[in-house]
Amino acid sequence: MRIHPVAAVLSLTLSLTLVGALPAQAATESPLLAAIQTEVDRAMGLRLPDSPPPYLVSVEVLDGQVATAQADFGALSSSNDGPYRTARVDVRVGNYTVDNGNFEGNFGADSGTRMRLLPDEDVELALRRELWLALDHAYKGATQQLSEKLAARQGVTREFDPDLYPITPLVTPPVDGPDVAVKPLEALVKTLSGRLAGLGLEEGSAIARDWQGVRVLVSSEGDRAYIPTGFTVVRVEAVARAKDGARIHDTRSWVVDRPDRLPAVDEMLADVDDLAAWVDQLRTAPVEDDYLGPVLFEGPASVELFRQLLAPELSGTPPPETPPDGFDDGQAVPTARVGRRLLPEGWTVVDDPALAHRQGRPGGYATDFEGVAAQRVEVVEDGVVRTLLMSRVPRAGFSGSTGHGRSLGRGRRVAIPDAVTVTPARPRSLGRLQHDGLALARHTVQPYVLVVRRLEPPAVSDDFRVAFSGDAPLPGLTRPTQVWRLYPDGHTQPVRGLEFVGVRVLRDIVRAARIGPAVGVMDASPGPQRFSIGSVSGLPASWATPAVLVSELELHGSGGHEPRVLPAPDAGFPPG
Amino acid sequence: MVRHRSRRLSPRFIAASAVALIFLLGVSGPVLAAPDPLQDALDAELTRTWDLLQAQPEAPFWMQLAVLDRWTYTVQATHGAAGTWSADHSRIGDVDIRVGSLQLDNTHKLRDPGWFSEEDRARVDVPIEDDEGVIRIGLWRAIDDAYRSAVRQLIKVRADDVVKVEAEDDSPDFSLAPVVVDLRDTQPLELDAAAWTERVRTVSRVFLEYPQVFDSNVSFRALDETNHLVSSDGTRLRTGRQHLRVAVSASTTADDGMELQVVDYVDAASTDKLPDLSELEDMARGVAERVTQLRQAPTVEPYVGPAILRGRAAAVFFHEVLGHRVEGHRQKDEEEGQTFTDKVGKAVLPDFLSVDDDPTLATWGDRDLNGTYAYDDEGVAAQRVSIVDGGIMRGFLMSRSPIAGFDHSNGHGRRQPGSAPTARQGNLVVSASRSVSYDALRKQLIDQVRAQGRPFGFIFDDVSGGFTFTGRVTPNAFNVEPVTVWKVFPDGRPDQLVRGVDLIGTPLTTFQRIVAASDQVGVFNGMCGAESGWVPVAAVAPDLLVSEIEVQRKEKAHDRPPLLPPPLPDDVPMREGT
Repeated sequence: MRIHPVAAVLSLTLSLTLVGALPAQAATESPLLAAIQTEVDRAMGLRLPDSPPPYLVSVEVLDGQVATAQADFGALSSSNDGPYRTARVDVRVGNYTVDNGNFEGNFGADSGTRMRLLPDEDVELALRRELWLALDHAYKGATQQLSEKLAARQGVTREFDPDLYPITPLVTPPVDGPDVAVKPLEALVKTLSGRLAGLGLEEGSAIARDWQGVRVLVSSEGDRAYIPTGFTVVRVEAVARAKDGARIHDTRSWVVDRPDRLPAVDEMLADVDDLAAWVDQLRTAPVEDDYLGPVLFEGPASVELFRQLLAPELSGTPPPETPPDGFDDGQAVPTARVGRRLLPEGWTVVDDPALAHRQGRPGGYATDFEGVAAQRVEVVEDGVVRTLLMSRVPRAGFSGSTGHGRSLGRGRRVAIPDAVTVTPARPRSLGRLQHDGLALARHTVQPYVLVVRRLEPPAVSDDFRVAFSGDAPLPGLTRPTQVWRLYPDGHTQPVRGLEFVGVRVLRDIVRAARIGPAVGVMDASPGPQRFSIGSVSGLPASWATPAVLVSELELHGSGGHEPRVLPAPDAGFPPG
Repeated sequence: MVRHRSRRLSPRFIAASAVALIFLLGVSGPVLAAPDPLQDALDAELTRTWDLLQAQPEAPFWMQLAVLDRWTYTVQATHGAAGTWSADHSRIGDVDIRVGSLQLDNTHKLRDPGWFSEEDRARVDVPIEDDEGVIRIGLWRAIDDAYRSAVRQLIKVRADDVVKVEAEDDSPDFSLAPVVVDLRDTQPLELDAAAWTERVRTVSRVFLEYPQVFDSNVSFRALDETNHLVSSDGTRLRTGRQHLRVAVSASTTADDGMELQVVDYVDAASTDKLPDLSELEDMARGVAERVTQLRQAPTVEPYVGPAILRGRAAAVFFHEVLGHRVEGHRQKDEEEGQTFTDKVGKAVLPDFLSVDDDPTLATWGDRDLNGTYAYDDEGVAAQRVSIVDGGIMRGFLMSRSPIAGFDHSNGHGRRQPGSAPTARQGNLVVSASRSVSYDALRKQLIDQVRAQGRPFGFIFDDVSGGFTFTGRVTPNAFNVEPVTVWKVFPDGRPDQLVRGVDLIGTPLTTFQRIVAASDQVGVFNGMCGAESGWVPVAAVAPDLLVSEIEVQRKEKAHDRPPLLPPPLPDDVPMREGT
């Protein structure tokens, strides 16, 4: 499976021919690209005694600008902007069948991946020196990683999957990322958070981040690509306190691929008003302390429901091998399985980053972080998993990457759902779902059905039971922040303090509405990282899902126990 | 068992004392009327919440609000490429509330506590814009959180006090201090961003002349801070601090895998005290040459013998070995080693040595000192403290937490914003009443080598830092991390640069072996980390001759040096011998 250098050159030539007009190919080479190419070429000559040389060297430079602004009740609390230029270098030793990748050694063990900050200025020599050091460390790390992996496999007789799919190299013309400006973000967060002033809230904050740039990818396989990347995320949070001391909070967020795709400010303010009104209502809302019955997930809650429960079932990347220890043999079983029934009959789940890219949906892309063209993948057909999203990490039964290889920082490139559409078999109106929910409630002797409109996003959840669920499907969902009782006569009653118990939802869906609009979210690879990315970091993605009625769920609730001692000051806000 | 506390004070007494102090000391410092919404917000919220909290069953007896308003300017360069000038504005707040009594309050250290027994410290969100209303809301949340946390902690403290045996030192938990009002006008720091960017870029090119310097950095950092503080006893402070640092560093890897780094820097309180371009380039060359020499230098085996600690090394030595052990709170913490607790009035150093800590000192010679401040973080005016006088132990560095025999603060309660203040060093000054020239000190070193029959002695020229263990669970030892160490031979051979050793020992033994000092003094400016976070400090000391020190092997990495030659410029001549 090893690619011969001549073959690599031929592939490169072919790729150039196919791409056709490449204006930048003959144009003056940027110092950054020149520096990367020179050091990638040199790194292929790295040698340690009695050790394999690199068979693949790649450098990805994330070259862009980032601006972040935050405000509380209309007053700026932080603001910063500037360039961002960091290199991720990957050195692989061995060959495509057996290399140092896909192995997680003991805590603190080395690997073939290194991150390094690069100078902002385009000084080729300075860039080369940073890359030279990073690649040197990565090669030594890769050599150690391979030796640990081979040691761990000693005496193991089972067959192993190969370690990397070969690819056709990607060559694209240079592009520049758009400029980023912090002043508009400052104005936006002041406006949005200022809307929460004077309403008796404890906290009313808004944070916005705009990240725009280019992934410059160069590899010894022939990649020489500029992949535009970027996201703009805005999050507003309101916090109030109930009389029993419970801290009530909820958020609204918007994720788009660039700032001009944000909704109009008036539209965002309307959402902020809705947020404030909801939080205010919850102050006096009853605690829903014990519920077992049907639950209707609407709008943003259905996006979170599917995102949290479905994502691990879509990603085909096998978990990394680990050294065997007293507890297991280091060979973890993948979560996602072809043939598993995930959803009711007739449902489909499709991930299509390229279409999302063309439509300007957040997270959409033409090529993934490994330079592989994004493919449309129908993962679930008729409710059953038929195939999986793949990165370049191979898996038995699959032939190559589907262009879903992404990760944050030094993380292994794994398949991460990006632009997912969940389509039900026989959609009904939302009113029908409510009607059916009430009917189910009668069967379970509940005087009402619970309707959930929002769940806490994992990135801001402090629920450790969920956060430490590992790579496996979550043991539950994050807490619902917007829940109400729907009674047979149509009236509603907001409730608070709830959390789910033992969620096994997807196959218990009994009704679904039509697909809602695609919602942008910030995400990470399925697993604990989703809970640690923070409120405005991560990888952009979008999910389009229907509202669903689940036949039975258990929720418990509790109130607060520590009311404020002091009344709030008169901050001089105009009445809200 | 009946527990006896003779110094328990009533809140009424505290209030009366505070009033008396105000009356006696009056109001110090100029009071300016310039608009200051941040200060106004602190005043207003302190007054409002203090009054409201007095109606609580467990009313606080003292409360303080502080906000550090900080601008941070940075730029750095490497290999001839500069980063982007960064100007970052932040405001970090602190709320300190005491409930209970002066004798026993919520800050009392729990003995044998379980894990996570300490209450979380309230986070204070302070906008960077001067919106008084929004600032007050953030302060209110933090005060409420801090108060409830203090009450919870006091419950644990009272139980701990009853369950455990009587403390060895039953000093009160808090002391009164003079009320001070000092609202100073501050002027913003003016910096030429373009000039500094060009300067660090230019200096960073120097390292390209040295092929054995694998990595390097040149950085400029400036802090422009205004510290606001108000307390329930009437203290109101607004003071400024400006601090600038320009630093050069170079690193390499020796053939045995040891990673070597040499850093040089200048700290100053104003730009005119910083080196010019030419001086910075000389600093960079000095660092590059030293790291190149170290790469070729032999390593040293563990060894015991006489040594000279040059000024900066001696200063760090005293900071670690003496300074941390005379921080007041350690004297009543029964988990601490308490090396000097019972040594007041007794000899702890040779009779020619004295040690003071003096945060009021702004400079030493032409060097600005890092540990300078007008008031500590508990609103107490900084004071010079005599720690050792003529070898005799005299006192401790005190925050507002009293210890046996020392019932008031001497202005050393310090913290990094976000932490609770404890007693910390400021400018530690070691002085010698009897000294010789450096040449004479060196001759004494060689005499010691001969007299002890040792093959060589050491000169510790410079250090990067150090650390010490002051507790009882770990050995009460110190470790000073030298950068430049020379072997000095008794037969007249040239001194030999060596690497790979740390200076180790225990305090009392090492102090007894200081035999002489020179008339040359070194200044170490740096940051010190301990329980209350990182605070700027300085230490000043003369060269010292120690009759016997011990060195141990330094921890080292094991990676080979880079396998490929470094990218080098075509148009820069390489330095000879490198």
